[in-house]
Amino acid sequence: MNISNDSTAPIYIQIAEWIENEILAERLQEAGKVYSQYQLAELFNINPATAGKGLTILLENDIVYKKRGLGMFVQVGAKELILAKRRDEKLSKLAKEIVQEAKRLFVQDEELIELIKKAQREE
Amino acid sequence: MGDIVCNLLDKNYRNKKALNKLSCSIEGEKIIGLIGRNGAGKSTWLKLLAGHLKPTDGEIRIFGENPFNSLKVASNLILIEDTMTFPPFLNIRELLKMAGDFYQNWQGELAEGLLKYADIPLNNYHHKLSKGQASTFNLIYGLATRCAITLLDEPMNGMDEGIRTDMYRAILKEYIANPRIIIISSHHLAEIEHLLEEIMLIDHGEVVLHLPLEAVSQMLVRIKGEVNEVKEMTGYQDVLYEKQDVSYEVIIERNKLDETYDKQSKTLIQSVSATEVCKLLTNKSKGGIDDVFNS
Repeated sequence: MNISNDSTAPIYIQIAEWIENEILAERLQEAGKVYSQYQLAELFNINPATAGKGLTILLENDIVYKKRGLGMFVQVGAKELILAKRRDEKLSKLAKEIVQEAKRLFVQDEELIELIKKAQREE
Repeated sequence: MGDIVCNLLDKNYRNKKALNKLSCSIEGEKIIGLIGRNGAGKSTWLKLLAGHLKPTDGEIRIFGENPFNSLKVASNLILIEDTMTFPPFLNIRELLKMAGDFYQNWQGELAEGLLKYADIPLNNYHHKLSKGQASTFNLIYGLATRCAITLLDEPMNGMDEGIRTDMYRAILKEYIANPRIIIISSHHLAEIEHLLEEIMLIDHGEVVLHLPLEAVSQMLVRIKGEVNEVKEMTGYQDVLYEKQDVSYEVIIERNKLDETYDKQSKTLIQSVSATEVCKLLTNKSKGGIDDVFNS
C-alpha cells in the first residue's frame, strides 16, 4: 500500500486500516506480533508518533493488545471483528445511499423494500 | 519547563518588526514543522534560538540557558541554513574531522556514507560545491552532529527531486535511530507533512498555532452546496473562505458546524488538509487572489 497525503483519510487511519488488511489476509496471524511503531514509521516513511496513533486506534477497538515490554499482538478473534465491522459500515453506507436516492425519485417505502426483496430473489 | 521556551520575544530590524511577542514552549524529542509565508519570521526565530542573534526584547531559554554566548547551547544545538559558511582552507574531509572534535555525538561514518551516496567527494571544498550539493552537505552535517536540538531552515533549497526524497528519508531514519528535537522550516508543508508530529505556524512574527499534525488537519471543514442550505448549516458564522460559482462553498471551524443539520441534504462536507489550513489562517482575504481580480 502507498501512504498518500492527498487521501482524505488521515495517515494514522490509513495505517490502522493497512494493519487490519494484513490481518484479514492472514499475513498477520492471530496472537502473533504486530509491527512496532518504529517498524511502521520506516516502512511507510512517516513519523513514529503518527504510526503510534494508528496502533492506538487498533488497541482501542480490541483488534490488538499490548504485552508489557514485548509490544503489540493480534487479538484472537480479531479477523471476525474486522469483518463484522466492515460489513456493518459498508452495508449501512450503501443503505443510506439507497434511501436517499429513493427519496429523490419519490419511491415509497413499500416499493423500496419490494425492490430489495426482488434483488435478493434474483441473486 | 520545556527544553525550548520563548517568552514574549521581539526582534526588530531597524523599523521592521520581525518577531512580535512570540511565545512558545517545546518539550521532548519530536519533529516539528515550522510553517509560514515569506517574511513571517521563521528564519529570525531560528537564528535567535541558535544564539546567532540577540532578541530586542523578551526571553529565550534552551535547556534553561540563554543561548546567546552559551557554550552548552552551541555544543547541543545546530542551525542548518543556506548561508552557512565553513573555513575555506579546509576540504570536506577536514571539515568532518573538525566536527568530530567539537560535537561529542558526531557520526563520522554516517556523514561519509551519506556524502558518498550523494556523490560529494571528500577532497572537494565547501565553497566549490553547487547550490544543491552545498545544501545536501549542510543537511548531512547537521544530522551527523546528532545535536539534541537540530534546526533546519529550508534544508532542501536547491536540491533536485531525487535527493530531496532521499534526504527526507535520511532525516526520518536518523530521528528513529536517535530521537531529538528537529525543527524543519518550509513553505512546502505538503512535502514534509508525513515526517511531522507537530506543526507550528508563524505569521507576522507571532505563533498562529502550535498543535499536533492531526489536530491541524481536523480543525476546519469545507461545506459545498446550495447557498441557503450551506448558510443554514454554518449558522451564518465567521467563514474563513467563501466562493460562489456553480455552487456555494465555505470553510469554517469544525466545532462551529451545526451538527443537527439535515443529514439527507446533498450538501457536501469535506475535510481540509493541514496545508490548506495553514494557508487559510495566514490569508489576508476570504477569497484569496480571486478577490483582487473580482474587485
